[in-house]
Formats: sequence, structure tokens, C-alpha cells
Amino acid sequence: MNSAGLRYPQKTLVADYTRAATGVVLCAAPLLLLDVNRWLAALLLAGLALFALFLVRTALRHRTRYVLGPDTLCADGPAGTLVEWNRLDRLKLSYFSTKRDRSDGWMQLSVGSTGGRLIKVDSALEGFHDIVERAAQAAETTGAPLSDATRANLRSMGIVVVGQEETV
Amino acid sequence: MLQFIIRRVLLMIPTLFVISALVYFIIDLPPGDCVTSQIEELLARGDPDAHARAAELRDLYGLNHPLWLRYLDWVGGIFRWDFGLSCQDTVPVADLISERMMLTIIMETCTIAFIWIVSFIIGVYAATHQYKWGDYVASFIGFIGLSIPNFLLALVLLYVGKVYFGLSIGGLMDPEYIDKPLSWGKIVSVMQHLIIPVIVIGMSGTAGMIRRLRANLLDELQKQYVVTGRAKGLPPMRLLVKYPLRHAINPFVADIGGLLPDVISGSVIVSVVLSLPTTGPMLLSALKTQDVNLAATFLLFVAVLTVIGMLISDLALAALDPRIRFGATSEK
Repeated sequence: MNSAGLRYPQKTLVADYTRAATGVVLCAAPLLLLDVNRWLAALLLAGLALFALFLVRTALRHRTRYVLGPDTLCADGPAGTLVEWNRLDRLKLSYFSTKRDRSDGWMQLSVGSTGGRLIKVDSALEGFHDIVERAAQAAETTGAPLSDATRANLRSMGIVVVGQEETV
Repeated sequence: MLQFIIRRVLLMIPTLFVISALVYFIIDLPPGDCVTSQIEELLARGDPDAHARAAELRDLYGLNHPLWLRYLDWVGGIFRWDFGLSCQDTVPVADLISERMMLTIIMETCTIAFIWIVSFIIGVYAATHQYKWGDYVASFIGFIGLSIPNFLLALVLLYVGKVYFGLSIGGLMDPEYIDKPLSWGKIVSVMQHLIIPVIVIGMSGTAGMIRRLRANLLDELQKQYVVTGRAKGLPPMRLLVKYPLRHAINPFVADIGGLLPDVISGSVIVSVVLSLPTTGPMLLSALKTQDVNLAATFLLFVAVLTVIGMLISDLALAALDPRIRFGATSEK
């Protein structure tokens, strides 16, 4: 398996920057332009912090290149980290949707190896399926525990982790 | 999760703006305004200055300005905690609603806690003791709760309390604590008076939740993995808690958002019947007199609570059960 450099598509990043900027403007504008009640000001400041955090996270994603190799997954960027597949001890695949029927959502993969930090990637990332597949193989080898939700999400992507079938 | 929270919060902001605009414009739609009924009273009494007084009041409440300008003024005021003047007694809306809003929030929170605790216990018991006398009793209570309107139950309890027990059920505190500052005695009095309204308002919600939890849990209990677990000799309590209960509990979390508006709208008539000093009776009177600022403020608070309830419910559901729905797309 050759190493592959993966990035978030420009379209996704622009959409996230737009969301973050919209939130920052909507929270900051009343604080700057109006004489806001202190409780509401606290609420708006909390919103502002949340959107600012999202802006920072989007900027970090923008500057990060993910390298999927046979032995590691490396996040090469300002807050870079490395996950070694043969020491994988955490794997979580979650599905999120903002629609009531839970359709049209996105997946988020969190992987971590012993002593290391977590790497979190969304399904918008190019080559997401390959990363999930490699992480599942690693989980099979290391026996990392998988939750019910993770197993169901892996199955929906056509991936079965041998030795991690539901047991009672 | 951060992305999920951001998307949900961004959806909340335009939703609240649209609701606030709709509420404000719809309350103002009927002919006349909040001054009309006051002036009719003055005219009936033969007051010669009635029309001059009407012009004065319309000027005071800003009713001479176009509706959109009044709406923008009201929305701008929200950030300063200034919701304009109420036509009832010409006092600021913020002063009128503060204590009532607090009592309403306390009452609704207790009602929701009552619904969850009671329906969880009874629902689990009814499902695990299907077709036993306990299940029949729980089902009977459920059907009674679903079929009796809340206000009728309130009237019955008022009558029974007064005639058979000599109790005064109305109100949310003893008369000596009304308009008095917060004290331990006042808190105890409010708690004692909360019991009946909480049962009355929470009855139908509890009944519905019992039925839903019972049905979901029965579905899960009949699945093969439970039968296998039982055959392998797993302790019944562990078998129940580990999988079926966790799956069956999702509606509890998903219903938080829907429960809040149901409880609030259901409490309006009950509050009138039981003379509770909550927002319900005041909202009703504000809608009848077209007191736009007061009614729109109440309804905006209900909308805010609903949207926050939905957010909490979605966040909890996303944290508890982040599974894909089969048939939905997994990748953007």
C-alpha cells in the first residue's frame, strides 16, 4: 500500500468558513452595535466563542494534509499527530445529521493509538472510505473495542470487522 | 460533534427570527388594536375625551407607526431586555413577565421531570410484566390519562379537594407569600402547590410516554438476541439494561423537543382553571386584547424553549446513538 496525501475539498472548506463567519457576525454584531443586556451578552459571547472555535478548526483543516500509509495515519499540519495502525486502541465511527429523518448526514471517524492523540476526520475528506477500511483492518488485528453504533455504521459502509460481531 | 452543534445553532437563528416575525404579524392581523377595547369602555361610560385619549394611547404604544417599524423596534429591544410597553396597565412587558416566567419555568421543568420519571418506571414495569395485573393497571392509567382532557381533570381535583378534603388547590403559593420576596417558606409553599398542577398537566404526556416506552421495549424484548441472552443464562436485569432498554429509550430523548411545547400549551387552560400565576392566563388575556408586545414576547419565549429543547434532544440523540439510518447516504 502506497502512502496517499488527502485533503478536505475546497467546496467543503468554503462552506465551513461561511458558516463560521456567519455565526461570528451574527453574535458579534449585536454586541458591537447595541446596548445588550448582560445575560444576553453572556449568551452571545458563548456563541461567539463557539463559532470562533469552529473557525480555528476549519483553518486547521485547511492547513492539514492527511497521509494514509500502510503503517500510520498522519495529520500533517499545525496541530499534527500520528496514529500507528498496529497500536490502534480507539476507533469510533459516528453518523450525524441535522435532519429529523437523519438522512443526508455525514460520518465522523475518530482513531487513536496507545499514548497518542486522536485524529478526527469527516466523510467530506477525500479518501475517507479508504481510511475507515484501513482503521477497521487495524481494529481487527489489535482487537480495539467497537461500540454498537460504530459496528452499525461500518456495516452500512460495507465493512465488517471479523471478531467484533455482536455478542450477548 | 462541533460541526453538528454549529449547523444546529445556525439553523436556530433564522428559525427564531421567522417565528418572531410570524407571531408579531399574526397577532396584529385582526381588525382594531389593543386601544380599541379600552376606548369602547370609555365611550360606553360617555367619556367625552375618549377619542383624544385613544389618540394619546396610540401615540404612547407607538401604534401610529407602521407594523414593520414596530416589529423592528421590538426585536431591537429584545437585546436590551426591553420588550416594549404592555397595553395592560401601561407597564413594561419585562416587569410583567419576570416572576410569572420564573414560576412557569419551574412548573414546566417539574412537569417534564414527573413525566419522565413516572413513565420510565411504569413503562419498563408494564413491558417486563406483559399481561400481568400490573401491566393491565398501567395500561388502564395510560388510557385514562390519554382520554381525559387536562382541564377536566383539574376541575375534578378542584371539586374533590374542596368538597371532600377542604383543601384549596388553586394558586401556586399561599396568599401570604404573593408579591413577597423569595424566602424558604415561599419555596416550600410553591413546592406544595406544585403537586396538583404537575400531575394534571403531566398526565397525558405521561400516559403517551408509557404507551410508547412499553411498545418499544416489547419490540426489543422479542428480538432474537434477547432470547439468546436468556438461553445463555444472563441475569434478567443485566440482559434488560444492557441492550433492549438502551434501544427503547431513544424516544425519551427524541421527545424532549416535542414535549416542551406540548406541556406549555397544555398548561394554559389548566393555569386558568387552577388560577395559577403563570404565563398562561396572561398570554390568553394578551391575545384577546391584541396586546401584541406582551403576547409576542410570551410566544417568542415558548419558541426559544422549544428550539432549545430540540437542540438538547438532537445533541443527546447524536451522542447516545450516532448510528446511520439505513437507506440514507453515508458520504456527502
